[in-house]
Amino acid sequence: MNAISVKNLTYEYEENIKAIDNISFDIPVGSFVSIIGKNGSGKSTLAKLLDGLLIAKSGEIKIFDLILNNKNIKAIRNKIGIVFQNPDNQFISTTVEDDIAFGLENRNIDSNKMQEIVIDFAKKVNMDKYLNKEPSNLSGGQKQRVAIAGVLALNCDIIILDEATSMLDPKGKEEIRQLIVKMKQENPSLTILSITHDIEEAYLSDYIIILENGKIIKQGKHKDIFSNLDELKKLGFETPFFITVKQELLKHGYDFSDCENINDLVEKLCQLM
Amino acid sequence: MNSISFGRYVNYDSFVHKLDARSKILFLICLMIMIFMPFSVWSTSLIFSLIYFVLLIVLMIMSHCSFLSFLKGILSMWFLFLFLIIIFIFVPNPNMSSVLLYQFSDNYAIYWDGVYQAGYIFLRLILMMSLTLILTATTKPLDLTYALEWYMTPLKIINFPVHTIAMMISIALRFIPTFLDEAQRIMKAQASRGVDFSRGGLFKKMKAVISLIIPLFISAFEKSQQLSDAMEARGYDPNSKRSKYRKLKFHLKDLFSAIFVFTLVGFIMYLSIAHGNIDVIDFVFGVKVGF
Repeated sequence: MNAISVKNLTYEYEENIKAIDNISFDIPVGSFVSIIGKNGSGKSTLAKLLDGLLIAKSGEIKIFDLILNNKNIKAIRNKIGIVFQNPDNQFISTTVEDDIAFGLENRNIDSNKMQEIVIDFAKKVNMDKYLNKEPSNLSGGQKQRVAIAGVLALNCDIIILDEATSMLDPKGKEEIRQLIVKMKQENPSLTILSITHDIEEAYLSDYIIILENGKIIKQGKHKDIFSNLDELKKLGFETPFFITVKQELLKHGYDFSDCENINDLVEKLCQLM
Repeated sequence: MNSISFGRYVNYDSFVHKLDARSKILFLICLMIMIFMPFSVWSTSLIFSLIYFVLLIVLMIMSHCSFLSFLKGILSMWFLFLFLIIIFIFVPNPNMSSVLLYQFSDNYAIYWDGVYQAGYIFLRLILMMSLTLILTATTKPLDLTYALEWYMTPLKIINFPVHTIAMMISIALRFIPTFLDEAQRIMKAQASRGVDFSRGGLFKKMKAVISLIIPLFISAFEKSQQLSDAMEARGYDPNSKRSKYRKLKFHLKDLFSAIFVFTLVGFIMYLSIAHGNIDVIDFVFGVKVGF
């Protein structure tokens, strides 16, 4: 079953300037998909279209078995959670706990149950010690973790990360990457759509869609995309750090092609030393 | 003791912090009425002002707030006080007896009444501002918003958008520090491009301020658009039924505080209305002080 199904979607900000140009793709339930592309390729527009924040000029968006329209928009928003780019501009309330509770209040969840849910999800993102803190006292990474907790607390089936790490420092980026991996391990049926221009983040996903000028120029499984690094380079993307390290080690006679992630590689290197 | 950054909430677990926000707003209004209850004898007014000051200091100790940092914050508005003092000294109340203190020229003189009025207004203003600062220092902005929403609830009958107003206040409070940071950032960016905010004449300063205000407005519009997207994406609909994470609750300490505040305010109001011309010094010590 598909969590997201997009057919011939087109969107124009201005007459005849297509931000999204007749794209189609399917995202199966439980998959982790990255949509990558340069600035202005239409990534964030696509995220807003999927959540009904923008209305498409033509085409169809289906979330599970619901077609996105005015009638279904509320039901669809109950299934999708979005984490936006700027951590400051999505922190609605004055404290961490109030911000996590904001979506629950909108869903009219019983107040007595809410505190338990808030604490539970704050713990999941390691923000339970900061419940009373104001946003001005948090780092960018911590604010994004609060935003993710707010989305997770709503028990959404799909999480869209709209360049959620692009405004963070390297430490903040790594925190969010680790959190994504943890989310996936804890809930395999959760569908994650990561919209990014960070190749390291895209490297974590199972399936990659590459956008350029509102069109899909390439899509494929993780293995297919990262097995052709020259093509990736031609499209303007760097080689992921993990692959670069493996390539350099290979040049020196160490073959670690069976390693699937950086942790495996570190472990094997330690065994060698 | 916690130092207070002017008008901001200070996280502490004091008796005053634990009081319900609705009680605190009601007490603030009552205490302000008390401060403004008039007494026709100047020495009585002064003595009552001093009593209020002692009460204020007790309240500050109970709230774990430092009086000195309060005073520092208040005195940063010295120009306002100076303006008021000058107005009251040089424009005395024509209804009061006018005992001359100093004659500058035929047209300008300082009267004792003016000095007394200025001092009295100064004290009342400091008391009023200090009480407001205690409220904001001991109450979370969100609780204040909820309390205001609670007080505005009857207006729902006439379809007044109580919830929307409360949400607007809450978001405005949340974004004050963000916009202050943004303004600082823009000022630094403009200063690095040669804009001087501190020197030059009025026209030059106005031009410099415009270079701050325009990017700040653009940023504010962008932020509001992104915030509304984030709120909509999390299912916010002002017309739908929403539950509340925080529930304001009256406790026993609110009741005891209310009994104390109402008794005190009631007593002062009674004195002011029934015995407004009482001379406390004459009444207690049998000595007449006047000018």
